[in-house]
Amino acid sequence: MTGKPGAATGGLYLHILVLAIVIVCELIGIQRLSIGLGTVIFLPILYAFALGILLNPAIFKASAKFLSKDAVKLSGAMITVAIMPFIAKFGTTVGPQISKIIEAGPALVLQELGNLGTILVAFPVAVFLLKMGREAVGATYSIDREPNLALIADKYGLNSPEGAGAMGVYATGTLIGTFVFAIMPPLVHGLGIFDVRALAMSCGVGSGSMLAACTGGLVAVVPDQKDIILALAAASNILTYATGLYVGMFVALPLTEWLYNKARPSERKTA
Amino acid sequence: MANQTNTTANLADDLPLNAEDERKIDVVKHSGLLLIACAIGLIANWVGTGTSPLVALPGMAVLYVACIIGLGFARFVPFYLPSVAWVSLIAILITIPGVPGAAWVSEQVEHLNFLALATPALAYGGLALTASEFAIARRSGWKIVIVAICVMIGTYMGSVVVADLFLRLGQ
Repeated sequence: MTGKPGAATGGLYLHILVLAIVIVCELIGIQRLSIGLGTVIFLPILYAFALGILLNPAIFKASAKFLSKDAVKLSGAMITVAIMPFIAKFGTTVGPQISKIIEAGPALVLQELGNLGTILVAFPVAVFLLKMGREAVGATYSIDREPNLALIADKYGLNSPEGAGAMGVYATGTLIGTFVFAIMPPLVHGLGIFDVRALAMSCGVGSGSMLAACTGGLVAVVPDQKDIILALAAASNILTYATGLYVGMFVALPLTEWLYNKARPSERKTA
Repeated sequence: MANQTNTTANLADDLPLNAEDERKIDVVKHSGLLLIACAIGLIANWVGTGTSPLVALPGMAVLYVACIIGLGFARFVPFYLPSVAWVSLIAILITIPGVPGAAWVSEQVEHLNFLALATPALAYGGLALTASEFAIARRSGWKIVIVAICVMIGTYMGSVVVADLFLRLGQ
């Protein structure tokens, strides 16, 4: 490890590397793959994330020569900074569409409760099919992004089974969430059952990269509805910032706990 | 098992759990980092859409100012809202028809492709993953991967079904 870069040079290398990744990914551009059900969409953000992982010092040892631990840490701070112009751009799509957003108001607000669908789908799979223990509570009560993870940390501690479940879904979501959210909405749209506005307003689940992937995929298959797709997705994402933690705290987590106790009465906590 | 959960807790040390504590952030330092992010965003937009950075610059400048104001609000307003929520609200406000300058702002940001602006964040995201995050994902095993996919499908489809239902009822 001779010639270990200082913090400043490490930072410089980081930004240059990101710039290089970004240029390559934007040159490749959006790619479409038609399959029977619909179209699978590949977005530059997917390549960017995948390339970032491939060049991550924890995976690709040669990168450690250029990227110090501090540079990796800076990279973590840069995610929240770099997503801000994107979020701002997203917000600017709402203003011009504000009357259409208000028109869709009830659906927009109530779909936040639809996020409880995770319990409906994932809880039975985890508890009955995969025979998971209390990890299932932390894993399935929400999409386990940062605020949801913080709630679990606060309530059970991260060194509990619930904490392990939540962290597992968090880490997996970080690794594959962008891919799932880029590929799923265009396929669901291909079914031809749902209003594209419903597909758009469900994109706001509280993670910037999932939001980008979801809307990017939808806009690629329904380009003429771009303005309304962006506006509804942005509006629902803001609603999730505001309501997500509370829905989790007062509805989703108690409900998941209750279901778990019903499903496994013998394990009921005596504490 | 006890051992295992202990190490899991240690692994959790560098997860972004405290990311929501924005009361202590240094707005000045962040404005510098944001400048770098915006510059890379302009280049992403250039390569991705062919729009020259000079044409897109006014729009990006507006977004930059909105972000700085949002960061300042998250830092100084007495009740807590994450900076991204403030940024969104400011961006919405300055583009509502009738607000002075709204039409100009909308016209300028139109030169920026929303997806190109997200590309730098994802590149940083891939590079920022720590050995612990890979370790947690590996340790959690295939069951968690299946559950995580079900969680994402359930969260999305639950919203889609409810939204679709109420959109139909509203017609």
